[in-house]
Amino acid sequence: MILLICALVAASALFYIFYLPGKLHFGVEKTRVSYLRERQEAVYENLRDLNFEYKAGKLPDADYQSLKSSLEEEAATILAEIARLEKAGAHSLRGEKGARI
Amino acid sequence: MRNFVQKTAKLTFLIAALFAFVASDQDARFQTLGHKVMCICGCNQVLLECNHVGCTYSDRMRGELASYVDRGDSDDLTLQAFVQKYGPTVLIAPTTTGFNRVAWVMPYLVLVLGLTTVVLIVRTWRTRPQVIAAGGGGRAGDAELEHYREQARKDTEV
Amino acid sequence: MSQIGSFALLLALVLSAYSFLAGLVALTRKGAGAERLGETARRAGIATFAMVFLAALVLVIAAFQDDFSIAYIFHHSNRDLPGAYKFATLWSGQEGSLLFWSLLLATYGLVLRLRYKTDSRLFAHASVIIAAVQVFFLLLLNFAAHPFAVMQGTLPQDGNGLNPLLQYPEMVIHPPMLYLGYVGFTVPFAFALAALIMRYPGEKWIQITRRWSMVTWGFLTCGVFLGAHWAYSVLGWGGYWGWDPVENASLMPWLTGTAFLHSVMMQEKRGMLKTWNMWLIFATFLLSIFGTFLTRSGVVSSVHAFAQSSIGDWFVGFLAVTFAVCLFFYVKNRSHLRSEHKLESLISRESSFLFNNLLLLVACFTVLWGTLFPVLSEWVQGNKVTVGPPFFNRVNVPVALLLLLLTAVGPLLAWRKTSIESLRRNFLWPALGAIAVGAVLIVVGIRPWKDITYLYSLMTIMLSALVGFTVISEFVRGGRVIKGHTGQSLFASMVQLAHRNTRRYGGYIVHFGVIVIMIGFAGAAFNQDKEQEMGYGDKMSLGAYTLVCRSYTQEDKPNYSSEWAIIDVFKGGKQIETLYPERRFYKASQQMATMVANRSTFKEDLYLVYEGLNQDTGRPILKVHLNPLVMWIWVGVWIMIAGTVVALIPNAVAVRVTAPARIQAAPVGAGD
Repeated sequence: MILLICALVAASALFYIFYLPGKLHFGVEKTRVSYLRERQEAVYENLRDLNFEYKAGKLPDADYQSLKSSLEEEAATILAEIARLEKAGAHSLRGEKGARI
Repeated sequence: MRNFVQKTAKLTFLIAALFAFVASDQDARFQTLGHKVMCICGCNQVLLECNHVGCTYSDRMRGELASYVDRGDSDDLTLQAFVQKYGPTVLIAPTTTGFNRVAWVMPYLVLVLGLTTVVLIVRTWRTRPQVIAAGGGGRAGDAELEHYREQARKDTEV
Repeated sequence: MSQIGSFALLLALVLSAYSFLAGLVALTRKGAGAERLGETARRAGIATFAMVFLAALVLVIAAFQDDFSIAYIFHHSNRDLPGAYKFATLWSGQEGSLLFWSLLLATYGLVLRLRYKTDSRLFAHASVIIAAVQVFFLLLLNFAAHPFAVMQGTLPQDGNGLNPLLQYPEMVIHPPMLYLGYVGFTVPFAFALAALIMRYPGEKWIQITRRWSMVTWGFLTCGVFLGAHWAYSVLGWGGYWGWDPVENASLMPWLTGTAFLHSVMMQEKRGMLKTWNMWLIFATFLLSIFGTFLTRSGVVSSVHAFAQSSIGDWFVGFLAVTFAVCLFFYVKNRSHLRSEHKLESLISRESSFLFNNLLLLVACFTVLWGTLFPVLSEWVQGNKVTVGPPFFNRVNVPVALLLLLLTAVGPLLAWRKTSIESLRRNFLWPALGAIAVGAVLIVVGIRPWKDITYLYSLMTIMLSALVGFTVISEFVRGGRVIKGHTGQSLFASMVQLAHRNTRRYGGYIVHFGVIVIMIGFAGAAFNQDKEQEMGYGDKMSLGAYTLVCRSYTQEDKPNYSSEWAIIDVFKGGKQIETLYPERRFYKASQQMATMVANRSTFKEDLYLVYEGLNQDTGRPILKVHLNPLVMWIWVGVWIMIAGTVVALIPNAVAVRVTAPARIQAAPVGAGD
């Protein structure tokens, strides 16, 4: 009886692990663009926080302006690169299609 | 005669006060010393906080402590007597002699070292060149950057 | 029955070993074959959970069936044990708690492996690391501490019973909480190591593990304080924290975990401190393993070193291997951890985090050092010494005060740099408030110059007030901005504010809980106690209370026999309550246990311990403690938990009117 249970348990475990019908779906590899999007979101979050704190009266004007401009600079650099990569991506995608046809 | 009675009364009062003072002083010493030794029955508690009734160790040890205090032994002598009898683990914290000093010094040493390191790190980091996060593929022009800057500003208005 | 359990454990070991090896091979190869292999590894991980779960289930069923043919059940249960404690048998002994550790790890692993689509490569790496940890625990269970070992010789009629100290409702939940905390740190550890090994770009892994870390930290907090509450209500010495090695073992990963939760924000927001965070989470994981080791190996003596056995060597080996692996990949990939920003000023949020981390780690080091010094002393000078509460308090109380100060200052500092003007603006009112609180306390009668504990106590309350005021000012200022936008009431605005940035404002609530707890700790400076024999009608006074012994008696129950006293409590001439301090003798284990009678109010606890009968007079001896403000600690813990829960709620997304502009802008920007 116990032997039977153990055999059954082992068989079902093995079946679950090794029976893989059909095609497997995996997530896509992380691209530079998606990495940059994450960074953009982080910088945006920092900027929103900063704006909010300024409105709450926590920061003097001078501090706010200098912090804001350095964060905006960072955001702009990231946005520029995203745009550049996406443009390049669109080109190469078109190129690929063309090649296939 | 009346003078004598008055004097005696005063003296008695003084002596009583002195005794009371000594008694309370002894009680205080009993309390302080009793918190500097452990009960060794295995309960890992401070002697005066060991709450096992019938714990043969703590009752006996309290008796010993009281007798030392009554005899007027100094704090050091009393603790020494305990160490002699029960071994060094009877003291609740490491002594400040010999290797045991290391126990006390280390945390402060680590604090000081840590503080120095943090201050040094802050100083080096302030002069560290900025790594450009979004590098590669040529720099964007000023006008373009200004455009994106404007965009970021719009996106993050609260 | 026991054979099924043994088989499940063995199969679990095989499956987790497969999950580890196949996963490892799959990660080093490319192509569809490797992906299929990786998928089988993932599924083997899931199946491991099923097997460990089966083993744990068998053990629990055996406990309920009083199957004393299994040695573990014989040693940790008996027929008359109430049901809840029979369930708790699973974690009340060494083998069982290792099985429980393994089960929790398998459960965390299951959740992780089911959510792999978030980022399959990162998750595959983390899954392999978790499988490796799982293999270690299953090796232990199969070869060093087998929970299904069978009794030799004739079957005993009844078991030895559960340690009576553990027969207390909180004991049913304290170990699971603590273990959920210990084990949970494996997940952020696995992701951190995975990110390092694969040179994962960006800080997404922190976002993925953020909730894990917070949940784990919350469980550990619960576990630590449940332990403190258990000690307070069961051990009967009138205190809640004795700096016992096992307590210390749970505090250490809590301290580094707390440091990690803070410093990781710097990495998320500013891409800084990457190396530091990596090592912090490594250390937290190693310390939680080390904590299990301390509890289980009997290296240091402790009140509740439940078991002493040879599994210590296994743990030392595992710690060494883990450390070596961490070090290897750190050295190999350290260039990946370069910081993206520089530090701009000493007065900034960034540096406040650095100091916060420094202090938490000094506290952690002190605890570790004090715990291990007896071992070191024996090694160096040939004799053990005791490192008791005075040592830990002397170092950690000032550190805790500094931390409180940082808790007040840190959140008000801006990222990057903060000007003096801004400091003045944010600090003036809270600081004045704290000074006012201090003045009131001195007027009320705290005399800080008389004793250093009074001074510490006063400073704790003042700094707590400072933190409290800054937290309130943060909520009010933020609430006002929202109120200006929406026109809601201030309270509704503050709720919305918290909902917009739950981690930040949940964090503030946690800080608020911390100060409530700190105020509770500060009360300990004013503890009083008194011991007296109490016959019929005898009186005793302590503080404002007068206790009168109405009666005392004895009783016999299936599981234990007990003695107790009936004490009427009077205050101001009026009877306010009747308390029943009790002492039990558990039959199966032949052990004594105290049931403390405690009248708890916000002002103070009246804490009665039945110490036993005086052999000569036959009358009970009672010890009475008057402990001010203890209830604040337990209330503070609830506030901390509430704050953690708030921090776990997803942020409400603010309506972004400007969002379409980006969509329009992008093509323009991308255009020629």
